[in-house]
Amino acid sequence: MYRLLLTSLLLAVTPFSMVTAAQLPDTAPGYGKLGYPLPEIGSYALPSLGRAANGEIIDSRGQRQSLHDIFSDRYVLLAFIYSTCSDVNGCPLSSHVFYKIKSAMKRDAELADRLKMVSLSFDPENDTPEVMRLYSNNFRYAGKAGEWQFITTASQQQLQPILRAYNQVIQREVDSKGNPVVGFSHVLRVFLIDPDKAIRNIYSVDFLHHELIINDLKTLLRQETVQGRMSKTAVELDEPARLSKPGDDKQGYEEESYVTRSLDLESRRGEAADLLGIANSPPLGLPPIPVPADNPLTREKIELGRRLFFDRRLSLNDTFSCAMCHVPEQGFTSNELAMAVGIEGRSVRRNSPTVYNSAYASLLFHDGREESLEQQVWGPLLARNEMANPSVGYVLQKIRDIDDYDGRFEAAFDGRGVSMETLGMAIASYQRTLVSANSAFDRWRYGGDKQALSATARRGFDLFVGKAGCASCHRISDDHALFTDNDLHNTGIGYRESMGIVPEKQPILVAPGVVLEVDRAVIEQVGEPPPTDVGRYEVTQNPNDRWKYKTPSLRNVALTAPYMHNGSLGTLREVVDFYDRGGVSNELLDPLIRPLGLSETEKEDLVAFLQSLTGGNVDTLVADAFAAPVGDVGKGDPSWVHGTEVEVR
Amino acid sequence: MGRGRRILMLLLSAVLTLAVSWADSEELGGNFSLTDHNNRPFELHQLKGKLVLLFFGYTYCPDICPTELANLSAVLNALDDQAERVQGLFVSLDPGRDTPAVLHDYVRHFNRGLVGLAGSEEEVAQVARQYRVDYRRHEKEDGGYSIDHSVNLYLIDSQGALSAVVPYGLPPQHLLETVRGLLAEMADKDSPS
Ligand code: HEC
Ligand code: HEC
Repeated sequence: MYRLLLTSLLLAVTPFSMVTAAQLPDTAPGYGKLGYPLPEIGSYALPSLGRAANGEIIDSRGQRQSLHDIFSDRYVLLAFIYSTCSDVNGCPLSSHVFYKIKSAMKRDAELADRLKMVSLSFDPENDTPEVMRLYSNNFRYAGKAGEWQFITTASQQQLQPILRAYNQVIQREVDSKGNPVVGFSHVLRVFLIDPDKAIRNIYSVDFLHHELIINDLKTLLRQETVQGRMSKTAVELDEPARLSKPGDDKQGYEEESYVTRSLDLESRRGEAADLLGIANSPPLGLPPIPVPADNPLTREKIELGRRLFFDRRLSLNDTFSCAMCHVPEQGFTSNELAMAVGIEGRSVRRNSPTVYNSAYASLLFHDGREESLEQQVWGPLLARNEMANPSVGYVLQKIRDIDDYDGRFEAAFDGRGVSMETLGMAIASYQRTLVSANSAFDRWRYGGDKQALSATARRGFDLFVGKAGCASCHRISDDHALFTDNDLHNTGIGYRESMGIVPEKQPILVAPGVVLEVDRAVIEQVGEPPPTDVGRYEVTQNPNDRWKYKTPSLRNVALTAPYMHNGSLGTLREVVDFYDRGGVSNELLDPLIRPLGLSETEKEDLVAFLQSLTGGNVDTLVADAFAAPVGDVGKGDPSWVHGTEVEVR
Repeated sequence: MGRGRRILMLLLSAVLTLAVSWADSEELGGNFSLTDHNNRPFELHQLKGKLVLLFFGYTYCPDICPTELANLSAVLNALDDQAERVQGLFVSLDPGRDTPAVLHDYVRHFNRGLVGLAGSEEEVAQVARQYRVDYRRHEKEDGGYSIDHSVNLYLIDSQGALSAVVPYGLPPQHLLETVRGLLAEMADKDSPS
């Protein structure tokens, strides 16, 4: 743009009639012939340059989609443009080169079939889906073969993370007074991305030429067949978890185009599942579940436990059920809270763990203080900051008084009514059925499906069991994998927290879209002091057990953010970075935790592997949870206020 | 390049900004009324049945506008017998200097078939808003000014609906193919069945 303005200035003194040439001087090679011979197809390597990030975009029909969905399972050329760009060697160049490729697709079926072109606008204010559609219209005549999509984003909130991930620096141009001028300054980069979402080449102005790109693509295709791998992507692996999403984080709320991301009631429609069947033959990758001899699984117990799990009346003031911290569609944990919040907003000092696969846990809670699910339920029921019931007797009496439960305990337990024991057994039975595996990883490792795992995830697996040493604690066996050693370790997370090692400033969201960096001192004035937590030591009183926490299973870990006992790591990438740095050093740090020296690609590979552990049946289990009755106070129920009956509300 | 820009900015001191903002809901494109280069009232409606190539600029525009107009003219010439189904329009974003008479000489310098359009400050701003044209005026130190503007070409079909936006800078061949494609589609659509 500025180059043009500069030329403008020079030309301003010459009469315009002199500049009627149809093209400006020094246009990029992409407009003309390639000035050098191309290397032979297949004679060179295009190693991965990093992972092509995902993001939320809207297509030209106005539909929200993920960028990876748009990529589908093809090779992709991705360009960042804006529709009013007039820098000849900028956006129009990428569009021109894409146009050339699209025309070439008419004659080359393989090209049309395997490559897709995507132009993404970085000017969401002006480039609405409608504008993108009109912009795309003038490229229609390149022929019908192949696909070229024009997409944009709903707002800067969606756009900025994408730009950051692709290292695109975009600035509004301003003049010397700081007033914006028309247009943006940006450096043209076009990305060639493979079906595994690895970036294989990045073209700058001087190298953006259709012949070179086609040459690169043919090279990649050639090498792909040589290695005999059909590219199948990780995208479809996300599908089993369609129902598992956090609630609406209100991103982009301040924009007019904001649309809620909360699950609509339509898709909340529940469907009961055969939980007993699932528990009796757990999905691929899991061993048979251990069931205590005195509490065999039965349909009646499971059904009763499920009723209790979703019953808000199990709390002191009839508001808080187990499911409100272990939220089914949030991986049976709380995606939006680092540490749990209980009844009346009371803080809990730890992160809610998932209850998926808790059937296999021989240690429960982050410090392993409980050993059986039957016992464990009394923890939250009585904790003053969770469900806050004053006593066991109080809970039992209340359940006896609720009509909904009339006869149900007796039916499930051979005539035995509600007691401390039967209540624990019922809830434990329901939780025991929430077994989830048959993930992409399981199908690949235990199901013999060589295509099930993407190449990146396979490389991640090699790191997980090899160089990164994760599997020494997150165990994988020959015929199944629990991803835990059912033991406790000091990774330094707890030490860091106890020592108050925290950044000076912390970003705080004060209103949707408005984030302020707030000084630690200010936060401490208003916040509660950080809770003390020394981990396993609290249970054993052995000083060597300080800051030891239980190794959690990593199954479904993509659904259970945030991570660690205090929820201090927000993404899997942060977890991998944490291990790569060697945790947080302290005198009791587990010797297995040490700096790993992982490269950028290796980190991405590890994350891809962790993402491949989402069970194939999570939607079934979540839909079953949606079908569960939600117990709430009604007429005739005992009222916690007066100890008398509730009036009709 | 950075240096060049800074020097440039010393020369141009921007004072007035014709900030263009629009409601997102407002529809793209549509009819408008201006004055043509023969000083006659003009409405886009008049061109129903033709494919319209709409372009925005100003006669003092140093290089982008002449380049684009030259391209446009080349395309019109290449259309031969189809040329009469196409109308090129040049809307001036500079009501202060571009009178119909000035426009008359300017556009005809490029192509006899082109029509230049002028209007008041408000009229022009309205059309620019409709077509999402971003433009700002920059005052120069010598008292003159330039107009910084976005430079897409808008293709409007025989029914007056905006049907494609062509970015500046693509080779004329591209525009020619697009125009031919649209003309063929229009012929299919407009012929009575
Ligand atoms: C206020 C939020 C909250 C409520 C309500 C709640 N939990 Fe939890 N749950 C937690 C937290 C936090 C932990 C970890 C506590 C710790 O490690 O000290 C936990 C741990 C667990 C565990 C252990 C999982 C493991 O792998 O170690 C199970 C099982 C469990 N909860 C089941 C339940 C059941 C059943 C109920 C209802 C009776 C319930 N929870 C109610 C927050 C909650
Ligand atoms: C020394 C044993 C050990 C090793 C080695 C280890 N982990 Fe962990 N991992 C743990 C423990 C213990 C925790 C829980 C820490 C806490 O809660 O503070 C954990 C937590 C995690 C979590 C968070 C799970 C959740 O739900 O919060 C992830 C993800 C994870 N580890 C991945 C890895 C990866 C990847 C590696 C290899 C780079 C690895 N771990 C190596 C012991 C280990």
